[in-house]
Amino acid sequence: MAIPLNYLLNSRGILGINARNQHYIRPSGFKRALRIIDNKLPTKRIMKKAGIPTPETLGVIKSMRDLYRFAWGSLPPSFILKPNRGYTGRGIIIVYGKKKNERFAWVKADRSVLRIRDLQTHIHSILEGDYGKSGLSDIAYFEERLKIAKVFKPYSSRGIPDIRIIMYNKIPVMAQLRLPTSHSEGKANLHLGAIGVGVDMATGITTNAILNNTFIEYIPGTRLSPRGIKIPNWSQILSLAYQSQVATRVNFLGVDIAIDREKGPMVLELNTRPGLAVQVANLAPLGERLERVRGLKVGNAKRAVNIAQDLFGGETEEEVEEVGGKKIIGANELVEIIAGENKKIETIAKIDTGAYRSVVAKTIADAIGLDKIERYKRVRSSLGEEERPIVKAVLKIHGVAIETEVFIADRNEMKKDVIIGRKDLKQFVVDPTKNILIKKT
Amino acid sequence: MPELTQYMILSGVPKELIGLILMLPIVATLIAFSREIIGVKGFGIYTSLIIAYAFVGTGLANGVVIFALVLISGTLMRLFIRHFRLLYLPRMAVVLTGVAFTIFLMFIVAAFYHQTEFLKISLFPIIIMIPLVEKFIGAQIERGPQAAITLTVETLVLASLSYLIITWGWLTGLILDWPLAVFPAVLIFNVLLGKWTGLRLTELVRFRELIKYVELSNKQ
Repeated sequence: MAIPLNYLLNSRGILGINARNQHYIRPSGFKRALRIIDNKLPTKRIMKKAGIPTPETLGVIKSMRDLYRFAWGSLPPSFILKPNRGYTGRGIIIVYGKKKNERFAWVKADRSVLRIRDLQTHIHSILEGDYGKSGLSDIAYFEERLKIAKVFKPYSSRGIPDIRIIMYNKIPVMAQLRLPTSHSEGKANLHLGAIGVGVDMATGITTNAILNNTFIEYIPGTRLSPRGIKIPNWSQILSLAYQSQVATRVNFLGVDIAIDREKGPMVLELNTRPGLAVQVANLAPLGERLERVRGLKVGNAKRAVNIAQDLFGGETEEEVEEVGGKKIIGANELVEIIAGENKKIETIAKIDTGAYRSVVAKTIADAIGLDKIERYKRVRSSLGEEERPIVKAVLKIHGVAIETEVFIADRNEMKKDVIIGRKDLKQFVVDPTKNILIKKT
Repeated sequence: MPELTQYMILSGVPKELIGLILMLPIVATLIAFSREIIGVKGFGIYTSLIIAYAFVGTGLANGVVIFALVLISGTLMRLFIRHFRLLYLPRMAVVLTGVAFTIFLMFIVAAFYHQTEFLKISLFPIIIMIPLVEKFIGAQIERGPQAAITLTVETLVLASLSYLIITWGWLTGLILDWPLAVFPAVLIFNVLLGKWTGLRLTELVRFRELIKYVELSNKQ
């Protein structure tokens, strides 16, 4: 198979593993990064010193003696057990709650039961260094498990979502919301089966979602779209990422931030080798962005956040400007046609101010069961006169739901299956130069 | 054949040995190339290399059979003892006991069916394959069963390719003719390879949606 030259040219701005390691990780304080960041406990100490909020450490086990003396009763119902030197989520156990009617027994994310003996075996493995890269003996520690923020609750049944910010040269460059799934056992690592969602840098609103490197429109097992979630405290999150980079003095860094329901944003972990799937979820080449901030001098957090929002925000089609309280839409827009519960379809519609009433293709109407015909109306079109059925439907454009009546017509010869007419465009201003790309569904 | 090679052979260094030594950097380069340019990594350079050399000792067909048996018996043993909750090293020792037992059985079966070719295999190439079990189990814990199988298949392909290169008569002849040219050639090639920062072939596939998107936005 020959790869067309065009394809290669278009891939130029994308950051690959080779370039990440050579151009960004190595020149960015690599040895320092290894010493500090691959040891989670010292990192937490540095963060604490810099006044950056991190989850509380509940207990540290450095030796077998510590292990046998550990007061198991001091643990809360829900906690996380981590190896100090673990990487890519290895060796982490997330404990979800206490098992009822049994002292010293807990439940994991996958509902399996965990007793002291299991924890001891696991901690023993950690101390032996089974989860570190080098195999040197390690330290195990317990950490508080954050409470999930309300906004994220519907999107993640197990585990806490976190926001990965790619920092370079003290500027937040790209962000990704990571949603744990039951498959990833509550962990937010993409290669373990978590969902990665792109985030608009200006607003903190989510865009495209990927699961195992393919785009998804819904969270598996639900009808929830991961698109359009507004991450709260967005500027504060970007500012925390900036502070973390300043405190560690590592110039290329992935900062993982979670939001606790009560305590707000907290830095969970720092990553010196952040994964590259983030550019797929954002549909934006990372290499290009990194080049744009190379050499910039940034003095404080506010300025860093402003630069990030100006340079990398507002590129997504999710962005909604407003004119006189009306949203601006383009010549083609993504609309959802809803016939009832679980009977809906999303498609690209043509916005047609020359038509009064909206038209839905018969094929679509049949697919979602739009069949309760209210009445018929004679219409004159370029093809002559015909009698068209009218049905009730709900249209959803840019998050705005419109209850209306639409025509059903045969549109097999037409490019778009749906036309939105003036009747349903009262809340919008149409800008014909704005044109969204057809997204993969 | 140059004087140097002739001198070595006349002094009693086996010709095959000279070839195998000179092939080592070439095969290592092949594995490095497939990692950095193609994106196929297997279980790293050491595992692929050493299995390729084990294949030289056993022959490709026998080698693949042993490779599969070592992996399957190791994995079965691991599943079997999972519920005993053993510490890491004793657990690995039990797994290796299972592997050793399987190899033992293999020789009994070979003896029974008078597979003289198989019986001629020395133990060493078989032992070399054992670290594979540890790598495989590690990958399974870290990345899940699917990724572990992918990595194993990659390793097998890399090792088989390396085997074909090691046993390639024409290339062996060439490097015996120019034994000292191998080293600078491989060095220069690897320095260039180490400076390569372009996308790997597998990344071109992995990022295809993104590349398509960039193409669409450029057209607008």
